Amino acid sequence: MNNTLSPPAASPPRRTIEIVNRSLKRRYRAERRFRFYGLLAIMLSVLFLALLFASIVGKGYSAFWQTSIRLAIFFDPEVIKKDTLVNADYAALVRESLFKRFPQVEERQDKRQLTSMLSSGSVYRLRDMVLQDPDLVGKTAEVWLPADDDMDMLIKGHFRRDLPESERRVSDKQIAWIERLEAEGRLERRFNTMFLTAGDSREPELAGIWGAVSGSFFTLVITLVLSFPIGVAAAVYLEEFAKKNRWTDLIEVNINNLAAVPSIVFGLLGLAVFLNFFGLPRSAPLVGGLVLTLMTLPTIIIASRSALTAVPPSIREAALGVGASKMQMVVHHVLPLALPGMLTGTIIGMARALGESAPLLMIGMVAFIVDIPKGFTDSATVLPVQIYLWADSPERAFVERTSAAIMVLLAFLVVMNAGAIILRKKFERRW
Amino acid sequence: MLTLTRMDETALAHTMVETDSKPRSGDDPGKRRVSREIRETVGRVTVDDPRMVCRNVNVYYGDKQAIKNVSVDIGRNEVLAMIGPSGCGKSTFIRCLNRMNDTIDGCRVTGEIILDGTNIYDKSVDVVPLRAQVGMVFQKPNPFPKSIYENVAYGPRIHGLARNKAELDECVETSLRKAGLWEEVKDRLDHPGTGLSGGQQQRLCIARTIAVNPEVILMDEPCSALDPIATSVIEDLIDELRIQYSICIVTHSMQQAARVSQRTAYFHLGDLIEVGPTGRIFTNPSHQLTQDYITGRFG
Amino acid sequence: MKKAVIFSMVTALVMATVAAVQAQQRDGISIVGSSTVYPFATVVAEKFGKAGTFKAPKIESTGTGGGFKLFCGGVGIQHPDISNASRAIKASEFEACRKNGVTDIVEVKIGYDGIVVANSKKTPALKLTSKDIFLALAKEVPDPKGGENLVANPYKTWKDVNASLPNVKIEVLGPPPTSGTRDAFIELAMEPGALKFEPLKKLSKEDAKKFTKLFSSIREDGAYIEAGENDNLIVQKLGANPNALGIFGFSFLDQNTDKIQGSFVDGNQPTFENIASGKYPLSRPLFFYVKKAHVGVIPGIKEYLAEFTSEKAWGKDGYLSEKGLIPMPDAERKQVAENVKATKAMTEVK
Ligand SMILES: Nc1ncnc2c1ncn2[C@@H]1O[C@H](COP(=O)(O)OP(=O)(O)O)[C@@H](O)[C@H]1O
Ligand SMILES: [Mg+2]
Repeated sequence: MNNTLSPPAASPPRRTIEIVNRSLKRRYRAERRFRFYGLLAIMLSVLFLALLFASIVGKGYSAFWQTSIRLAIFFDPEVIKKDTLVNADYAALVRESLFKRFPQVEERQDKRQLTSMLSSGSVYRLRDMVLQDPDLVGKTAEVWLPADDDMDMLIKGHFRRDLPESERRVSDKQIAWIERLEAEGRLERRFNTMFLTAGDSREPELAGIWGAVSGSFFTLVITLVLSFPIGVAAAVYLEEFAKKNRWTDLIEVNINNLAAVPSIVFGLLGLAVFLNFFGLPRSAPLVGGLVLTLMTLPTIIIASRSALTAVPPSIREAALGVGASKMQMVVHHVLPLALPGMLTGTIIGMARALGESAPLLMIGMVAFIVDIPKGFTDSATVLPVQIYLWADSPERAFVERTSAAIMVLLAFLVVMNAGAIILRKKFERRW
Repeated sequence: MLTLTRMDETALAHTMVETDSKPRSGDDPGKRRVSREIRETVGRVTVDDPRMVCRNVNVYYGDKQAIKNVSVDIGRNEVLAMIGPSGCGKSTFIRCLNRMNDTIDGCRVTGEIILDGTNIYDKSVDVVPLRAQVGMVFQKPNPFPKSIYENVAYGPRIHGLARNKAELDECVETSLRKAGLWEEVKDRLDHPGTGLSGGQQQRLCIARTIAVNPEVILMDEPCSALDPIATSVIEDLIDELRIQYSICIVTHSMQQAARVSQRTAYFHLGDLIEVGPTGRIFTNPSHQLTQDYITGRFG
Repeated sequence: MKKAVIFSMVTALVMATVAAVQAQQRDGISIVGSSTVYPFATVVAEKFGKAGTFKAPKIESTGTGGGFKLFCGGVGIQHPDISNASRAIKASEFEACRKNGVTDIVEVKIGYDGIVVANSKKTPALKLTSKDIFLALAKEVPDPKGGENLVANPYKTWKDVNASLPNVKIEVLGPPPTSGTRDAFIELAMEPGALKFEPLKKLSKEDAKKFTKLFSSIREDGAYIEAGENDNLIVQKLGANPNALGIFGFSFLDQNTDKIQGSFVDGNQPTFENIASGKYPLSRPLFFYVKKAHVGVIPGIKEYLAEFTSEKAWGKDGYLSEKGLIPMPDAERKQVAENVKATKAMTEVK
């Protein structure tokens, strides 16, 4: 703003401030434009994310409720003998109870329709009750039993009642019975604990994600336990100890390459190495974890290395300057500072591993497994595979369960990523 | 090797430096050319009671030579100041003295740096005890991101200098006292060292260095990031520390060199141009380059 | 920190060793194979497992060919016990099995699966013939102007194909070449359709290879859209596009009768009864194959076979029919069940 700034030229005085002022508008316009594009990009991605969430939640939330029917079950000692507690004909108990409630149903075809309103899983519920409390035998109890998936779909409004009978999976009679049960307060939508606690099933009303969650858990434990120490050790060695030469360059290029290799390739590798060569069992979380370890290692190594390089050299010098050995410098100062970054990388790698199904196909983890895995070598599947399998099932009720399983997976991912952020915040130090 | 002949102050070879014939423009130091022949040091490089003896030290970064044939002694209980225009190799040289240059890829050191009768660049020498013996304070205060206590206690702890907690506490206290920081931080030893002011941080770094009880302390521009008040505190501190330690300090402030040091070495483009008692260097430099520098013609 | 690293490494090592030891035994049945049989086999497996005596078999959906590859890998716990198939085993596969020591294989035919050509209920059902299907979907068809030469498929609408069909664009969503459903569709619809043309019939006798290539080449000009392996996706797309047709397994029609309907093929609609009686032409038998050497070694195989071939499972009113499996006629069921009981191994590929 000073006149003395202008050069002593004969030409019309061109003060810097004038030149600046002239371009100022244009500069601000460019800035506004850029801000607008940025905002637009953010809004678009938020919109798509919201759409995705809305569609998944909209489809899936109803899976957390399941239609149940309350019946008075007489635990007939004629049917349940002392020595046949496990394999007694519990279905007969349900049938008896239903026929008592609807005495006017007589024809065989109708009786079949009536009994098919309850899930075939009802018998297991009754069996478990008796096994837990054998004193029930001889008594009558009111029991909530899961309804068949078709009834559930009807109650939830996924089947239209106004279509001609031939075009829906629920008959007129069944609708009438349902309406009667509803009026009597014997039909309710109750929280679907099965969905959270059961293993896979081909009956949607019995299917749960606990088997897949356990499988994912065991798989990820193996992945974490192997990939974190190995990844960190590799990164520390490469970054702090290895001489920079052609070999380390080669290794670095290869690691970066591996990070970009399609995950199915790791599945093929796992099949060849762990199953065919080492003879490890198929479909086991152990092998899944090993394969996912191969897959996540490059990610963790790269993240850890950049976390290590981000540690300021002044800290290293400080440690070396008081006479710390290289190892002490790394362990006492560099690692603690790099740890948040390493953990973030690891969690992101884990989250990716959690969502992976392609490499598991090759090692037999894409499978129908009813029993909930109890260990690292039990046959197991994982959450994304469960989603894939359900999405492929013909039963309509699996549509909502697929979305609900996606919700669970997303919840885990959100928790893991939030964990990454919290860890980083917590361990982050100023220097 | 101490067998090297002591160079006689008077017998020193005269400068072979030639300035070019153009008249000095004074306000444009870039124009002044100095021929790049080997220069020999003016002044007496030796002292009577040396703590460290450097002979014919050359340092290379890859192919580039950063220090050329430098020989100088560091006396007991003296402060040796190193001055010179930036990029002349002061840091490079001071970092040779405790082998901090080892950490730099492609850095190579030849010549001899003798401490207690052994060349510290000998294969048999371990850098860990060396660095415990020759401590270092860096240009930028670099406390560990830990508590004040931990910062000071770290060195004694890894070297096993304290047998128990009480001894460690005492060591931390005396070090902080020597660094003139105790009164300011004694109530918040568990606070992060990074939370202190710049001058306090630098004193903390000094305390950390003296906690391992070194024999030589190297300081690379310890006050360059500090304000004048913090600087004068540190300068007073250096003066006190001299009683116990040998100190080697790099500084770009000639006033500082004049205030704290007994001897001054002037570096120029990797050469050690002139060494001598501080008073003489600043009042009556023998070498043209030194003269130019201290009179502010360049630097 | 350091200790934690070492500790976790050691744990992992120990676990790996333990696992390697554990791999020496297996207590559950391992089943692989066709994705078409998968929905049926899984129901049986689940019931079998929940009955409580044995572990529920593990079933991998690997596709028929992939299943045989694993199944024929050899005898021993690391190889599966049963392979599901949406077609009979091929001679080459049988040979591969034999080479690896899998000599005794029990073939179990379990019923039929219909392939439907369905559209949305918003439009009327189509009345197709296999000839129409061939003309609409083949890459090359006989010249409509007459003569013996083949031309690139010129038909754009169903009316072009057959004047009695509606005037809508040909748009068919179907499985990709990797799918067994596509193989079956080609064999059951395209081949008979091609044979309706005299010149092609002649060709089939003179140059079988060329003929096979002709009827199995599906047009690639956009009228046939490969919709991926997920049949639910096709069903959803049909709802959104009432003019499109979709090709998939009967169970998906069975579960979605409120939204879609099957087209008539050669006069019959794909209903449970029509497929069972053989009136509906697009149906194929489903099988599974059992490794006889594993029977009695892996616990439960015999019992699983008994469950699968029991009336309450594969019978007329059995629970498999509820899932869309079309049962075999009574006599055939009885015959197969007897074979299974005797674990009669097949001697050659038919
Ligand atoms: N790590 C390094 N790699 C390569 N060259 C370096 C490195 N450090 C310093 N140098 C070079 O060595 C010369 C001396 O640097 P330095 O000792 O830092 O100078 P001063 O501390 O006197 O300013 C400079 O030319 C500088 O560019
Ligand atoms: Mg410097």
